[in-house]
Order: sequence, then C-alpha cells, then structure tokens
Amino acid sequence: MRFKRSMLGIPYVIFLIIFVMAPLAVVFVYTFTNGSGQFTLENFLGFFKSSRTIATLVYSLFVALVTTVFCLLIAYPTAYALARSGFKKKNILLLLAVIPMWINFTLRVTALKEVLDLVEGNLAYYPFFNTIIGQIYDFLPFMILPIFNVFDEMDKSLLEAGRDLGADRKSLFLSVILPLSMPGIASGITMVFLPAMTNYVVLDMLYNSTYIMGSLIGSYFNAYDWHNGSMVSTILLLIIILFSLIGKNKTQNA
Amino acid sequence: MKKVAMLLTFVMLFLCGCGGKASGTTPVTDDVVTLRIANSEEYIDEGGWDASETITLSDGQKIRGVDSLVNDFEKWYQEKYGKKVRVLYSTYGTNEDLYNQMTLGNSFDLVCPSEYMIMKLIRENKLEPLSKDFYNKESAYNYYAKGVSPYIFKRMKGLKEGGKPLTDYAAGYMWGTLGTVYNPSKVDKKDASSFRIYLNKKYYKRLTIKDSVRDTYFAGLAIAKEKELAKNGADISKILNDTSQKTVDQVEDVITDMRENAYSMETDSAKQDLVTRKADASLQWSGDGVFSINQAEKDGLRLCYAVPEEGSNLWFDGWVMLSDGVKDDKDKKQAAEAFINYISRPESAIRNMYYIGYTSAITGGDDPMVEEYVNYVYGSEEKNAMDYDLSYLFGKKCVIKADPDQLDRQLFAQYPTEDILKRCAVMKCFSNQANRRVSKMWTNVRCYRFPWEKRR
Repeated sequence: MRFKRSMLGIPYVIFLIIFVMAPLAVVFVYTFTNGSGQFTLENFLGFFKSSRTIATLVYSLFVALVTTVFCLLIAYPTAYALARSGFKKKNILLLLAVIPMWINFTLRVTALKEVLDLVEGNLAYYPFFNTIIGQIYDFLPFMILPIFNVFDEMDKSLLEAGRDLGADRKSLFLSVILPLSMPGIASGITMVFLPAMTNYVVLDMLYNSTYIMGSLIGSYFNAYDWHNGSMVSTILLLIIILFSLIGKNKTQNA
Repeated sequence: MKKVAMLLTFVMLFLCGCGGKASGTTPVTDDVVTLRIANSEEYIDEGGWDASETITLSDGQKIRGVDSLVNDFEKWYQEKYGKKVRVLYSTYGTNEDLYNQMTLGNSFDLVCPSEYMIMKLIRENKLEPLSKDFYNKESAYNYYAKGVSPYIFKRMKGLKEGGKPLTDYAAGYMWGTLGTVYNPSKVDKKDASSFRIYLNKKYYKRLTIKDSVRDTYFAGLAIAKEKELAKNGADISKILNDTSQKTVDQVEDVITDMRENAYSMETDSAKQDLVTRKADASLQWSGDGVFSINQAEKDGLRLCYAVPEEGSNLWFDGWVMLSDGVKDDKDKKQAAEAFINYISRPESAIRNMYYIGYTSAITGGDDPMVEEYVNYVYGSEEKNAMDYDLSYLFGKKCVIKADPDQLDRQLFAQYPTEDILKRCAVMKCFSNQANRRVSKMWTNVRCYRFPWEKRR
C-alpha cells in the first residue's frame, strides 16, 4: 500500500476515538438512563423543571457574558495598539500580554486573591465582582491573541483605500476595520465565553460559594450521581454547539 | 503502510494498557505476600524526622521516625513471622474518592475509611470480618486488642450495621470531634461553644464552614434541633441522625443562612485564613484544629478550640479488610492483621500522632508509653497546673497535670473530656434515599437564587 498523506492523521484519529468519542458515548448513555439502566428523559426534564438549576444556568451565562464583554472591551484596543506598533516592539509587547499564561493558573489566582483582599478589606463582601475580575484575569490572553492575529494580517492597503475614498476615522473603523476583525472577535468569544461558564476553580478560590454549571457537575459526581452529572455536561455540550453554529454564521457573513 | 498503521495501533493500545497497572508490574513470587493498602493522604508517619525531633519520654525511651512506618512494618513482619511482605501503599483524597476507586475496579486489601463509609461497605457486603484471634489479648503480637482505648472500642461496638457491631470488621485508627477553631481576641469562648456562632451576625463574613455535605449538614442539624437537644435525657444520637424530609427542609434554611454569613466554604484554606486573620472562627475537625493552633503559634497568633455544647460529632477512621482482596488468602489476611497490630503498637501510635496531629485510638493498655507521651507534650510542672482527667479514655487512672491554657487549646482538641464526648454522636451512613434528599438540599443551597425568588 502506498503512503498517503491522510495516514499522518491516524494517530490523531485513534486518540480521538479513545479519549473523545468513547467518553462522549459514555456521557450520552448516562444522560439518558436512570439508576437501573433504563432509558429515561427524567434527568433532562428534572433540570428544566427545577428553578434552582435553571437559575444556575442563567447565573453561569451571566458570569460568562460579563466576562466576555469586559475581555472584549479590554482586548480589542490592546490588540489594535499591539498590532499597529513598530515591528520590533510589537513582539515584545505581545509577549508581555501573553506572559501571564506561562505562570501557573492557581498561583496567579492566589496572588490575585491577596491583592483583592488588600483592596476590599474582606473578600467575601463582593463575590460576584471578584469572580469577574478573576475570570478576566484568566481569560484575557485568549481574547487578545486571535484579535491580534487578524489585525496583524490585515491588509494595510484596504485602510489606505478607505481613507483615499474619503472615509473619516469613525466610518473607517465601522465599515473597514470592524468587519475585517470579526473572525478574530468570533474566535475570541468562543475561547472565552464557553470556558467561563464552567471554570469554577476561580469561584472556589475567590470564595464565591454559588454554583455555576461546572460546580454542578462536580457536585453530582461527588454524590455518585453519574446520570445527572452527565446530563448537565450534555446540556453544556448543546450550548457549545449552538454557539459554534452562531459563531460560524457570523464569521461567514463578515 | 498498513503495517505502520497497525504498529501505531498496537503502540497506542499497549500504552493504554500499561497506564492502568503501572504500580503492580513487578512480578511477585509465591513466598512474598503482597499487601495493597490505601489510606488518606498524609495519614501515617512517613519518617524522615530530624534528630532534634526525637521524643524522649520520662523513662528515657527515645522515639524517632527515621524510616516510614510502612517500611518498618515490612522489616518487622519478616523478623517476627519469618515471611516476606511487600506493601503497595497508595493514597486517596476523601472517603468518596476511595469508594469511587473501588467501583472503578481498583482493588485493595486493607483500607482506612471513616465510620460511615465502613457502614456503607458492610451494608454492601464488601468487608472481611476480623479473625477471631485478632481480639485475643494473650497473643504476643495482638497490640490492637491490648492497646485500644476501651472507651473508643465501646463507642465503636455501639455502632451496628445489619445487626453486626462495627468492631467485627474495623480496628480504630484515629478519632476526634467536630468543633470550632477561633481567635480568642475576636471571639467569645461562649459564642464559639455553640453552632449558633455560624449564624451570628457579629461575625458576619468572618467565619468559615466546610464545603462538605455531611459536615455542614451536621452543624445545620444541630442548630435546627437545638431545642430538642437541650431537653433532659434527649437521644442525641437519634436527633443528630435525623434525615427525614421535614428535617432536611429545616436544615436547608439554616445552611442557607450559614452560607450568607460565612466568609468561605472551604476544603483546606481555613488554617491559612485564620493565621492571616481573614477569618475569626472556622468549623474544623479536631486534628486539623490542633494543626491550625500549632501553625498559628509559630506565627505568634493564639487560637483556641471549642466543641459546640448542644451536641457535636464524634468520628473515627478505622482499618478494614476488603473481601475481594483478602478472602480465601490466609497469608494475606494474616499480613493485613499484622499491619494493623504493628501500627497499633504504642510506639507506632505515638509516631503517628506526632506526625499527623490527630488522636490515636490506641491508649496502650498496660503499657504506659502513650500516657507518658501525652505528659511529654502537654504536662506542666508549674504551680498553676491543673488536673486533667483522661481515665475514661485510658481505662485506668490517668490524670495529666497541664497548663490551664491547654484546656481550651491543643490538649482539649486532641483529648476532649468525657462530658464533651457524652454530648457527641456519630453520624451514621445515610440510606440511599436520605442521601438523595440531603444531596438535593445541598444543591438547592448552593445554586443561584433569583433576587425576586422567595426562600423555599
């Protein structure tokens, strides 16, 4: 048999089957069965019937939304400034923005905890605010990088053409720069929004004892309730698929 | 090229296959008994003490953990029984982790869970009873039978699962109470001596509670039932094991308020938060309490320990043999029981207590060594030293002369008085139904509540 390029993918396919497909199948089986192994939709219905779990879903979405909006507001101008600065400086500046990613995450949040405690006096007064700060601190680089990339690769001649055709700064931004940077924004949002919904370590470490979706999974698993734990995972998966589809449309439209 | 693909597949499968068994790949010959032991993390003396840490008892005897107790056991077993034993020692985080590991197919011979998990394992027929000879005090090496505290043995024997007392299966290891570690410069002793402190607005956001269903449920239950508990002749054990729907609902309200009032719900950050003065009081196990108090002392902060007076939790961890490991294997069972006996020697018990800070179920029986150790750590020859009576625990006259300060601190945390323990109940294993009720309650407490939503 002759060597085909597609064969290089074989190790990855095997990896995919063992570590992604198989566990997913197990999750699905647990989602739709009860303790005695019979098919049931009760787990799902239970989630949407309880106002507690619905509230948790809303709370997670809200945490993720606020995190994403602030990440975007901070990352967009930062990425723009980084991309438009001189070549040599640019890489060093980007490095500065990305360096926090090299430091262990728990270490960073522990340090942040001390800083917040110093500023606030008592960490426990502002659990939601702390959570958002922690999440932004954690996810900001993931927003900066993709946006930086689109700015960096942006064809400068398009900007010049816009200016030549009489666009002022505002319309240049709205009709050239922003549409061109949409793919970066979209991929930044997917990289921040979805993990922010489940990243409960930040909440735990900053003493926000309210559950988000990730903590809910953990609590079910701790009580040996594989079925409900899997059900929450499946709901998250559906949300991810939904968002990726929306994100894909947005990118294509742009 | 198909061959390459096949090869890759095999390599992958091989790697996967190895991953699960890495620890047991060395071939074991017939004359060596392999004993698979699983225990909580940092829950046995691992040796490596500095020479300066040597404990010198009043009779001149010196105790120092040079090698780990596990290694010492291997040597001792070969010496005394003339057989080789190889211990495969592993650790787990919580009782639930251990149970999950067992369900996932990891098998062990000897494990050390808490009382409620032991009851669960008995209920599920997973335990091998201790042999008849284990409690024979005449046997030379039966250190457990000779050394276990009669009081702890009695309390364990009082716990029954399916009509069988726990002592048929389990040998006590460490025990303690659930209480409050507090900073006496900020918190009244009186406030700290009740679970009510966790609802006290005076300490708003200065208290930590446990991020663990059972412990926090216990505290909430004691608050919800305080009137019943205060009645004369109340059946404390029955009240503090109540998991009826009505009670669980009441406790839900209490815990919701506790959470409102708390600085954090923690798993192990409380010690740090007390020392850095972020928190003034925290719900702790007595052993962790001793550790916190010691740690804080090094940083120049004085902490105390109090057991809530309305009634608190008495807990113990015990060694049990798993039947899928030791059944039909006499040599293994002998080695497992020998291990329990080895770590129940007074010297081993002292090494463990010194190393991990908890209280051993071993008081030494006729051997005075443990009593001397308590004197070595807490004894005082000052004029103001007070008598601290531990006769109930040691089953013989045992009065420690201790600094009065110690009565609120390490000595009290490690060795509570009989009056305190009379007010303490063991929290038994919940039935599956009760477990579901309590977990649901816990999820309700922890999940977000819309501002316009009323409390349950």
